[in-house]
Amino acid sequence: MHKDESSEFYIGYQPQGPAGIMRYVRLRLILLAATVISVAILLVYGQRPFADSFFDFGNLQDFEGYVIERPVPLLMVEKIGAPGSLPVRRDYVLVAEGKHGAESIINGFNGKKVRLRGTLIRRDGIEMIEIAGGSVQAIGSKSRSLSKEGGAVGKYILTGEIVDSKCYLGVMNPGQSKPHRECASLCIRGGIPPLFVVRDAAGRKLHLWLLSADGLPVNMDVLDFVAEPVEISGAVEKIDGKLYFLIDPVSISRLKM
Amino acid sequence: MSHSYRAIGWNRQKRNYDLLVLSFIFVYLGIFIGLGAFIHPNATIETMLIRGLGTCALLMLHVILVIGPLCRLSSAFLPLLYNRRHLGVAMFFMALAHGGLSLFQFHGLGVLNPLVSLFISNLRYDSLSGFPFQPLGFLALLILFLMAATSHDFWLANLTAPVWKRLHMLVYVAYGLIMAHVALGVLQAETNPVLAVLVVIGVVMVMGLHLIAGARERPLDVEIATAGKEELIDVCSVNEIPEGRAHIATIYGERVAVFKHEGRVFALSNVCRHQNGPLGEGRIIDGCITCPWHGYQYLPETGMSPPPFTESVPVFNVEVRNGRVLVGGVRVESKK
Ligand code: HEM
Ligand code: FES
Repeated sequence: MHKDESSEFYIGYQPQGPAGIMRYVRLRLILLAATVISVAILLVYGQRPFADSFFDFGNLQDFEGYVIERPVPLLMVEKIGAPGSLPVRRDYVLVAEGKHGAESIINGFNGKKVRLRGTLIRRDGIEMIEIAGGSVQAIGSKSRSLSKEGGAVGKYILTGEIVDSKCYLGVMNPGQSKPHRECASLCIRGGIPPLFVVRDAAGRKLHLWLLSADGLPVNMDVLDFVAEPVEISGAVEKIDGKLYFLIDPVSISRLKM
Repeated sequence: MSHSYRAIGWNRQKRNYDLLVLSFIFVYLGIFIGLGAFIHPNATIETMLIRGLGTCALLMLHVILVIGPLCRLSSAFLPLLYNRRHLGVAMFFMALAHGGLSLFQFHGLGVLNPLVSLFISNLRYDSLSGFPFQPLGFLALLILFLMAATSHDFWLANLTAPVWKRLHMLVYVAYGLIMAHVALGVLQAETNPVLAVLVVIGVVMVMGLHLIAGARERPLDVEIATAGKEELIDVCSVNEIPEGRAHIATIYGERVAVFKHEGRVFALSNVCRHQNGPLGEGRIIDGCITCPWHGYQYLPETGMSPPPFTESVPVFNVEVRNGRVLVGGVRVESKK
């Protein structure tokens, strides 16, 4: 205890506190400052590592390609190289701004070649475009559809986490697990395609787009199971290099109560 | 001129206090967000802001909660108590920024009203690990808002001190809600133990200091045996009371401050009209009993604040016999 306690008396509205008390207070304030700085540094380093994701916020780019409406909205972009080389194809999953899917924006453009502006999102090799409102324009009259090469892989029971693809791929980071649950639910409710993140036998991460057994969106049926460990049984299909998981939502079960 | 409450205006100590609070906030957020952006380049800036503001508010809340018991343990902490309500209001604004940003980030721009989404986007109210932690933060923020909004002495005077005091005791409810908000929220996904360990240290410190301060106070409340209410009770010897200061005793279930000043002895209620500060730990300055918390003053003879102020505290009958101080029933009731 400080020794001036018996004689000094602090009154806040006097211009200056008593010297002994103020010396004591200054010492405590230095301790407090040290605590504040240490807590800040500890908490900076004490955060779980952040995923390597990318959201090109603020940088709108032009993209040209073919719109594919289903099973998951895509922009199929072909890059023609030098004469004699094969074209390179890249697929971008399409979403709208905010917590909204692209469905209403690309409605009527299925198979058509379009030009659109948007922001690039990328994680784990999956690319996505957040379409800038009103920027989709049809160009040319050629049309395309997905090939059905590959097709059925088999029936599986898989465990993993259902995430909203937009946040998970980089718009938010972290964009998954418990603290993100409400957001994921709202995004999927708004039409953002749900993605099922699982691990294969070698421990590698795999990403499967969740669909109903008929290959239609299941968004509204998975809301209650997002952002937590779940087990789902269904049929895996591979179309153009992408994995789809065709499920009956009734088969989703929680691993943690 | 009638003063229903005393507006404590700005003064140098308050300005210094507020400047310090602001610089601590800047240092904390600067390190958290500046160093954070450097160490975690992949984290989005909103995440850093939300986390920085939330943890800053929580740290401030801990400081606020330990100042009380620390002042009970040593009067040298009183300068930190003097302007604590500004610290409280600043903490509310940090929490508001955190909550507002979270509400926008996690519930905005969607197909539901953000406030609806806050309550229905996670419906696992039946689960512990899955429990919706954000509504807990929202409730805590409402309480902090009520407290910040009524923090001015205007409200203290208009709600009356007991109601105001009870309202501001809700800070402990808010503290509990925030602890649950953190434990059921980020801590469910965090793999690094730092935040969990800091939170446990914080809770132990807050509870420990309150228990210790409470234990120190308890002997004060041991009542001196009394027969009838009008009887004079021997509370201490005159020599025990230092000049210009008081001895605190409990009679008839009430704490009484017995002051000695210029050869006379005065007994008044120990409870300051302002915010229930312990008058008996105050001093007599310029002939007035001066509260140790915010410096409200009362005349020892009448219990009245010197004009133009109108506060008053009850005064008790007091007699000195053979060097012993005897205190009895109320002589002058409080005026309000
Ligand atoms: C409307 C009210 C609130 C909402 C919507 C809210 C939302 C959130 C969310 C979503 C997180 C997790 C963020 C993350 O991923 O890291 C979080 C964490 C946190 N919140 Fe709140 N919160 C609210 C009120 C409060 C209040 C009043 C406090 C009081 C100090 C508070 C303190 C914290 C703390 C300390 C954390 C952990 C820091 C961290 O994120 O690492 N929150 N809150
Ligand atoms: S409690 Fe504020 S001056 Fe006494």
